[in-house]
Amino acid sequence: MAAVAAGKAAGAAHGHGEGRGGGGGFLGPRVPAEVEAMARGVQEVGHETFRRLLRVTVNALEGKDCKESVKLIAESTSLSEEQLAFLISGMYTLLREALRLPLSTFKQEVFKEDLKELRIPEDFITDFSSIVFGNRRPVSEGTALMQGSRLPNVQDFKWRVDVAISTSSLARALQPSILMLMKLSDGTAHRFEVPVAKFQELRYNVALILKEMNDLEKRSILKIQD
Amino acid sequence: MLIKMGRKLFYWQICLWQPNRMSAVTIFVLQAESSFSEEEEEKLQIAFSLEKQDLHLVLETISFILEQAVYHNLKPASLQQQLQSIHLDQDKAEAFASAWAAAGQDTIEKFRQRVLTPQKLETIGWQLNLQMAESMQAKLKSPQAVLELGVSNEDSKNLKKVFVEFSHQELFEFYNKLETIQAQLDSLT
Repeated sequence: MAAVAAGKAAGAAHGHGEGRGGGGGFLGPRVPAEVEAMARGVQEVGHETFRRLLRVTVNALEGKDCKESVKLIAESTSLSEEQLAFLISGMYTLLREALRLPLSTFKQEVFKEDLKELRIPEDFITDFSSIVFGNRRPVSEGTALMQGSRLPNVQDFKWRVDVAISTSSLARALQPSILMLMKLSDGTAHRFEVPVAKFQELRYNVALILKEMNDLEKRSILKIQD
Repeated sequence: MLIKMGRKLFYWQICLWQPNRMSAVTIFVLQAESSFSEEEEEKLQIAFSLEKQDLHLVLETISFILEQAVYHNLKPASLQQQLQSIHLDQDKAEAFASAWAAAGQDTIEKFRQRVLTPQKLETIGWQLNLQMAESMQAKLKSPQAVLELGVSNEDSKNLKKVFVEFSHQELFEFYNKLETIQAQLDSLT
């Protein structure tokens, strides 16, 4: 997404522009420069072109490749590459910030009000709304939206319980042991043996964490109003 | 015939030894995980007034007897009997038996716990966090647990730390799997 990258870089280089009369609402106290530029530039854009740009932006949010579509738009309209950059990056930032907020606390009217403050045309506001609040909301499993920084989690967990009947040191050992194979989401795999005593410790600790999690979820800290 | 004594030379040496010195060395061999260091060997040489070769022979043979005792899980009385039946002096056999009675069970247990796999779980640590937000999502309030597993590698001395993150649901599923393993262990006894 060269256009989006260029737009984002341009926006960052300019720094966040001065907010207009009170700030952008859900966009924070200072409306990002590219969103302002987009708001100004979108006035001259036709509805059809706008819809195509919007589709490209949504695809970008979902992590799909959009180089082809952007090229097509560039060829079929009279917009310069710089204009395209500002438009797409502005729409991208606007939608990304809006999609961050959970639907339980973020209401459509507030969203529409904020966009009206930016002087975005009415029809375009409706289109934006339908993306954020309607059933065209991008699937959150898309890479652009779900890239939280996390430690790896368990992808696959295999285990076996062995009993050592006889070893070179003991004719009759009869010692149980556990072998675990843990595949993590970052691609690493760990195979290790767990002595029975350590296994009990692991089980105890996991149960303890679960209990603490339950207590935490019931406590009033989770009832903080957003 | 459990213990095959093919070392005639050892016979002589062992017969000439004082019983109390033998039991001291026997217990020492039992407790030491690895063989004696150079200085320790020298000290033993002086203490027992033995040549280096003879000392090695004595130590090796005592280790051999003890390894056999571990392998067959011998009771002290049985060990004494076996030693006497190969014509070891009564008092020396008694020295073995008393040392075995003192530290035998622990030694067997230590051998039982030995694992052959190169990697073993040594330490378990954890952390429970409440994630409030991230770059892609605001106002989360989701509990996350991080499990730190210390896995030792036979080659290196350091513990490899494996960090694994769990959400509530993931941890619950993991716990159920651990419960299954526990059920299997219970069915063994």
